Amino acid sequence: MATSNPPDASALGRSRLRLADRLRTGLGGLWSRPARTLLTALGIAIGIASMVTVVGISSSSKADLLAELDELGTNLLQIKPGQSLFGDEAKLPTSASTMLGAVATVLDTAGVTTINTDVQRTTHDDSPNGLSVLTSDGDLDRTLQLNIASGRSIDAGNQALPVAVLGAVAAERLAITNTSGGPTVAIAGRKVQVIGILEAHPLHPDIDRSVVIGHSYATTVLGIDAAHTAIYVRVRPSAIEQTRPLLARTANPTSPTEVQVSRPSDALEAQTKVDQNLQNLLLALGGVALLVGGVGIANIMVISVMERRTEIGLRRALGARKGHIRSQFIIEAAALATLGGALGIGSGVAATTLYANSQDWTVSIPGQALAGGIIAALIIGATAGLYPAAKAARLDPADAVRPQS
Amino acid sequence: MSTPAIALRNVVRTYPGEPPIAALDRVDLRIDQGEILAIVGPSGSGKSTLLNVMGTLDRPSSGDVLIDGINTRDLSERKLCALRARKLGFVFQSFHLLESARVIDNVANGLIYQGIDRRTRNTRALRALELVGLADRAATKPPKLSGGQRQRVAIARAIVSEPSLILADEPTGNLDSKTSADVLELLHQLNRNQGATIAVITHDLEVASQMQRRVSVRDGRIEPTTSETAA
Repeated sequence: MATSNPPDASALGRSRLRLADRLRTGLGGLWSRPARTLLTALGIAIGIASMVTVVGISSSSKADLLAELDELGTNLLQIKPGQSLFGDEAKLPTSASTMLGAVATVLDTAGVTTINTDVQRTTHDDSPNGLSVLTSDGDLDRTLQLNIASGRSIDAGNQALPVAVLGAVAAERLAITNTSGGPTVAIAGRKVQVIGILEAHPLHPDIDRSVVIGHSYATTVLGIDAAHTAIYVRVRPSAIEQTRPLLARTANPTSPTEVQVSRPSDALEAQTKVDQNLQNLLLALGGVALLVGGVGIANIMVISVMERRTEIGLRRALGARKGHIRSQFIIEAAALATLGGALGIGSGVAATTLYANSQDWTVSIPGQALAGGIIAALIIGATAGLYPAAKAARLDPADAVRPQS
Repeated sequence: MSTPAIALRNVVRTYPGEPPIAALDRVDLRIDQGEILAIVGPSGSGKSTLLNVMGTLDRPSSGDVLIDGINTRDLSERKLCALRARKLGFVFQSFHLLESARVIDNVANGLIYQGIDRRTRNTRALRALELVGLADRAATKPPKLSGGQRQRVAIARAIVSEPSLILADEPTGNLDSKTSADVLELLHQLNRNQGATIAVITHDLEVASQMQRRVSVRDGRIEPTTSETAA
């Protein structure tokens, strides 16, 4: 060996491509063929757009309802008598309300009793109006978060007096719009003065259709049974799950099986889930579109690799490693899909906004849907690029630099 | 004596077949730094294989290829890439320019796989373009260039990394005779003024005749070197 100083291969360093250059080479292929890029991205765009629109429209349709639910709180529980062992209608013990109020995690309780009598504008009116009469012991407003539209409420001070508060629907049916002038209604043949009107409450349509009178007045003057027909319990929000199983036993320690505990907000929540199946079906269709878009990208990338054989050969001759070639094409595919994803999100948001506006809904598109759309596109693109990129990296450089025949 | 730019020792390259085809058969070749020479041979003589082996795009079946004293047989695939990025420059018959990239970016791509930052690449690319007389076309894209200009850009890309050896594969194959002469003159200039070591691989005897040193390839073997005085 004639060389005096030994050759040093380590001085060669590494073949490396800076991150910025990786991105630049990956994106370069897209800019050079704008029409093809746009058309290929369209497949992904349609898939993402349909998914964003489905999620957006369904979410917008529920937004108002859910906002209401949120405001009302989901921590209200209703305790009602169930049936006894022999199938008779059970009763709640008269002490139930007090016992429930003593549970540490219970914030408020309100017992009500439905009275089986009708309520009319005057004593000699007897047309049916579908209204019912409820008693309150004074905590009803606070527990159910009822708002007074006009006048005042039943409280501890007036619950023994012949006064009534009307639910929103009841007031309308009885044609009483406000409490000025001291309007009266007739309950079980007795004149009762209307001192307040409640605002409508979406969780409690039964209250809307009721006339509320004091519990003491009902038991002493009308002579109804003191046992409540329903007790509402407002529970500390963080303790709902622990508290709920305790309530039946607390309300009726001797026969807890005769007590029903339910949550009124569940019904409203269920309403928001009705269209879940349809939504899933539409999402699946969007997913199919995405998949087709991904296959389209893989297809175009395979063609692109074949067309750019000499570029690949040249890059290898310039010192590119297989990994550099691979990443170039994966980045290109991922960028292609991401472009499609961005277009899809844009048109999905536009479609949702248009439809929501036409329905007078608040536009609501979950951020996760948007982020998910972009990420899904990115992953689909990168996956679609895997095979073409591997194909490009596998090309024999000596072969690839020759002009194709 | 200084390290040769490239030395081939007893290089054999066989392709599998029945019987195996020996594209290169016990080839010895030494090119010193600062040399310019022609490697001539008709098609099928093995000169393409020789080019691939010299350019490390292909590995010999046996024998050694030393580039700037580094034995490529010991190098991993990754190291070979690093070696190509730093020690070798290629000029191809059909230029291989990226049509959508500006001239200066095409030239700067000769440095991209060394991990050199963009600004430095562009500075060096501009200098290389000055050497080939195309500095004023730096922002142009290849479709607007003539064939001769394109090949000058490709030559600039090959010299931008100041490699130990430039391999020019039929560099005038797609050019008319006048342009061919210009391109060959440019290669001679770069050899004279920049000390670039250049091997021109060609089947064209007229091109070969303009080189001081000619190496003939025939049937995978190097024929006795014909050394003549330059015209």
